[in-house]
Amino acid sequence: MTPHGAAGAVTTDGPADPVPVDVATDTETETLSEMPTETPTEGLDVTRDTAVIAESAMVLSGISKNYDGVAALTDVSLEIRRGEVHALLGENGAGKSTLMGVASGEVSPDAGTITGAGRLIERLSPALATQLGIAIVHQHPAVLPDLTVAENIVVAVPGAVLGTGAEQIRTMQQMLADVGSSAHLEDRVGNLSVAQRHLLELAKALAVEPKLLILDEPTAPLGADSVDMLFERVRRAAATGTAVVYITHRLAEVRELADRVTVLRDGKVRGTAEVEAITDDELLSLIVGRQLESTFPVKPPQDELGDGVLAVDGISGAGFSDVSFTARAGEIIGVSGIAGNGQSEVLRALAGLTAFSGSVTVGGASRTSRDLRMRSAYLPADRHDEGLMMTLSVRENAALSALDRLRGRVLLSRRREDTLVGAELTALDVKTASPETVVSALSGGNQQKVVLARALLSRPAIVLADEPTQGVDVGARAEIYRILREVSAAGVPVVVASSDAKELEGLCDRVLVMSRGAVLDVVEGAQVTEERLIHSAVSATVHQGGASRTAGSVSTRRSRFLTGDYAPVVILALVMLLLGAFVLSQNSRYLAPFNLTSVMTSCAALGFIALGQTIVLMTGGIDLSVGPLAGFLVVVGSFFLTAEKSAAVMALGLVVMLAVAAATGAANGSLIRFAKFTPVAATLASYIGIQGLSYLLRDSPGGNIAISVTRLVKTKIGPVPVAFLLLVVTAVVLEYALRRRGPGLRLRAIGSDEDAARRVGINVGRTAVLAYVAASCFVFLGSIVLLGQLGIGDPAQGVGYTLSSITAVVLGGTSLLGGRGTFIGTLLGAGLIVQVFNAMVFLDLSQTWQYFFQGALIVAAAVIYSQVRRVRA
Amino acid sequence: MDPKNETVSPSRRTPRGLSRGLLTVVAALALLVVAGFIFAPSSVSSGAVQSMLPFAAVLAIVALGQTLVVMQGGIDLSVAGSVSLVIVIVTHQAYGDDSKVLPAALLALGVSLLTGLGNGLLIGRLGLNPIVATLGTNALLYAAVLAVSGGTPRQTTDLLARLAGDSALGIPHAVLVAVLATAVVTVVVKKTASGRRFEAVGANGSAAWAAGLRVQGFKAGGYVFAQVFYWLGALLLAGILNKPTAYQGDSYLLASVAAVVLGGTSLLGGRGNLVATAVAALFLIQLDQFVLALGFDFAGKTLVQSAAFAIGVALYTINWSRLRRRSQRPASTVPA
Repeated sequence: MTPHGAAGAVTTDGPADPVPVDVATDTETETLSEMPTETPTEGLDVTRDTAVIAESAMVLSGISKNYDGVAALTDVSLEIRRGEVHALLGENGAGKSTLMGVASGEVSPDAGTITGAGRLIERLSPALATQLGIAIVHQHPAVLPDLTVAENIVVAVPGAVLGTGAEQIRTMQQMLADVGSSAHLEDRVGNLSVAQRHLLELAKALAVEPKLLILDEPTAPLGADSVDMLFERVRRAAATGTAVVYITHRLAEVRELADRVTVLRDGKVRGTAEVEAITDDELLSLIVGRQLESTFPVKPPQDELGDGVLAVDGISGAGFSDVSFTARAGEIIGVSGIAGNGQSEVLRALAGLTAFSGSVTVGGASRTSRDLRMRSAYLPADRHDEGLMMTLSVRENAALSALDRLRGRVLLSRRREDTLVGAELTALDVKTASPETVVSALSGGNQQKVVLARALLSRPAIVLADEPTQGVDVGARAEIYRILREVSAAGVPVVVASSDAKELEGLCDRVLVMSRGAVLDVVEGAQVTEERLIHSAVSATVHQGGASRTAGSVSTRRSRFLTGDYAPVVILALVMLLLGAFVLSQNSRYLAPFNLTSVMTSCAALGFIALGQTIVLMTGGIDLSVGPLAGFLVVVGSFFLTAEKSAAVMALGLVVMLAVAAATGAANGSLIRFAKFTPVAATLASYIGIQGLSYLLRDSPGGNIAISVTRLVKTKIGPVPVAFLLLVVTAVVLEYALRRRGPGLRLRAIGSDEDAARRVGINVGRTAVLAYVAASCFVFLGSIVLLGQLGIGDPAQGVGYTLSSITAVVLGGTSLLGGRGTFIGTLLGAGLIVQVFNAMVFLDLSQTWQYFFQGALIVAAAVIYSQVRRVRA
Repeated sequence: MDPKNETVSPSRRTPRGLSRGLLTVVAALALLVVAGFIFAPSSVSSGAVQSMLPFAAVLAIVALGQTLVVMQGGIDLSVAGSVSLVIVIVTHQAYGDDSKVLPAALLALGVSLLTGLGNGLLIGRLGLNPIVATLGTNALLYAAVLAVSGGTPRQTTDLLARLAGDSALGIPHAVLVAVLATAVVTVVVKKTASGRRFEAVGANGSAAWAAGLRVQGFKAGGYVFAQVFYWLGALLLAGILNKPTAYQGDSYLLASVAAVVLGGTSLLGGRGNLVATAVAALFLIQLDQFVLALGFDFAGKTLVQSAAFAIGVALYTINWSRLRRRSQRPASTVPA
């Protein structure tokens, strides 16, 4: 069925189907034979292939991909031509997104070949895909929340497209205007609405004038005007020769936009056709087709249902509004619709995990959100995130919500626990080597059963299952359906959300169809069929609340400043001025040149080290080894930079110091990225080790640094040490690089969202390791200042810089979560620390106050900054 | 992705009562003792063991507290300030007067609990980064240390020296206390409903929240109980040392984290290997003895510690079986 038999196997037809369990094989073959085929399937015809490739933007052939043994794609072939809009249709889990992940280099296939731009591509990476002119608009936009709109564009779009300076800004504004976005270039993306993020993603993709543009369900979060704009842009792109792949669920959109359509089901191509040559019914039968597997439990007859056990009355919350339904004992309620239309949100609200307005009555009693969280059993779609404690055993996971029942006299009774949990695991037929097996070692289906076991053992008032069989094998599915049916029969309300309409047909007695957060349709009894549900969902064309979703609030200059990184800088500067003024009012010698010089020299050493620390923190890491490293480098230097040594030896000494620093950084980075140490563990190991090395070289202070060297380090212009000037210049240059240059943006990108950074084509591992190397190189600069200050190699010095560098960075407003911060802030933070220490001398305060102010400052700064950030979010 | 990865490999199983961390650290300790008999008999002489044990006991107790924090995915840098503060309170407040030991100890306990509540509030409730928050409280604690002591050491009190330093049936009191503390915390964490919930919250906070647990409370609780252990350890140390300095707690920061990590408790939080932490503390102190007995100086000792720590972490983080398979095919990037 694959057109143009591109190199590789072409076997999507039923009889050759390698998967024997597919019940619907026969009917499929029939349907397919009725399908209009534009070209006969041909074998390996080299001349023809070349011709095809010339007119194709991309040819995928024989692509297969397995995840954990579950086939996501099986032998899929697809050819995308220049200038066409090619729709990719299929249910959730049909493999559409995986296929496009392959086409954009984000997913590497297990088998098959990719031909693009007329040549065979050995290994497609996101970066290579960008070079080849492949742009993808993800369903979940690959945008970096801590970066501004402009920075997101710069980091993802090649510089040649954007130009420089004022031209760059104009280009970017034009890009946003083109997609109808009202976002400001300086807005932080994390503060944008979902729709605005999608428009940004679209703008990035269109800007490169791609040869192949992939749009993954682009209209889902958009309002009506944006959808019209999008269609217009897609048509315009296709008219200029761009090949467009348009992934969607909505038949109406296929009709409106696409030239050709390919239907995927269960990871296989079910057919490709000209849109004009195929009817809606034919398309539906290709999408649906699968026969009801006889694995669903029998539904109870309508007249045998019990009393009402659940009444949901007009609940609204984030992502859904005015949802009402009731359930009687024995009835399973389904929530259907295209993924992302509020189904999960309704379930989460009913589980008490998010706030809602309206009333929920379970078993005759009205329940608050808090009650619901305590009394409900929630089976999340993402078991890894919200379902299981992956590092704990099966037993510990299953027993968690029933611990109160396992108490003996004082302690938990292990015997009772083993019995109770064992019985439940047996009843659910959980396949595990032992109840003590770590739950992460189980298959997806068995993991889900463990979540179910916990739910059942907790004797819940209501059960909420979101995509209960996602990633679950066929056998376990049947078990899960049976269990849900049994729970329901016992009078506990069961609500199931699923994007698999077949599943809802088999399992549910009543199904709500949702679209854009509202209940579109309620289907009951014999009406609950896959066709009916899919029909309801895909024929929805309403774009509710479009205007409000798209427009979003327009940011002001003031709000952009507050949400920016520079608010802490201003606060710090004010604090420093106030402190300075106060000290001066107490002691007029505070501003004496001697004191200024001494403060600035101390600031230079700490400042350089803190700048290095900032680089690492920006990636979301931490470097505890900076202090010992600074001390160690001074010790190393004390062997080379002494009075009797020649200039050449001194130069060699500096080279050795730098090499030691770089090697330390590389070791830290490699331990973290490649040996999977946490940053704390890795740099703690080097912290201890480097201290040992210092003492190995010198067990007591020694090696007097040449006066010529210390004098050079302490060179002043007026009262200002040159080292301090260099520090300020360095901080400004780094700040510029952080905002405007590739390396700076990449640094913040990987700290902001590693996964999104990878998807926009950043080499995350290399960037992170280089960050540690760079940090150590700045420690080297700091150690030179320190060397001048100390004048001797002392193995006990330097260690304290670890904590004071972190303090300086935190004061400067850099987030330890990564992604955001400023070097200028760090500079001021270092300045404030030194200033506080110095002020204590002038105010005649004891060391107690020195510690007190340091502690109070860091706690106050951390609390204030975190609260400000929370308010913004 | 290889489907074979999904099958249960022996290394991922946790046999009843014996965690991988405990097995590793007990084996390491046994190896160290054997090596001691062969290469440095003076490190395993009864005199050396008798003088080493009380310090191992103190580190074990402090490290148990650190384990509770690490189980919640945190790290407690304020351990240094806490230990130092408790020591200066009991040595300065009760200086030379046995009757003042108890009030001073209780005062110190009160201060410790307050510190723990402060940490818990900042981290559990306000969501601050644990490193930042405890860095701040540590500085505040050191301000208090200086306010109480002025930075000068004081002779310990006789009563405290007897209580902490004497032996019963040949076993130092400190060791008895450490064994008892390990037993109690293990039973509470593993055998009570609250303890099990505590572990679950540490393993996955959002799943614990979805399961209806009070996540913030458990997170804060870790920091509070940790302080109780620091207090206990510091009290013993104040008695064991004749003249403890005002900065006595400093050496316990890295050592306590090292013991936790060597015991196999992940810095990402989750299951706590409490017994293994205590054994790891014993291992670390004995390692010092061994290295010193071999004739190494402070530098050598520190380097060996660092290597032991790095190897200890690598044992848990690197997926060795995957590494062995690497020769056949490129490894995927799933973090261990």
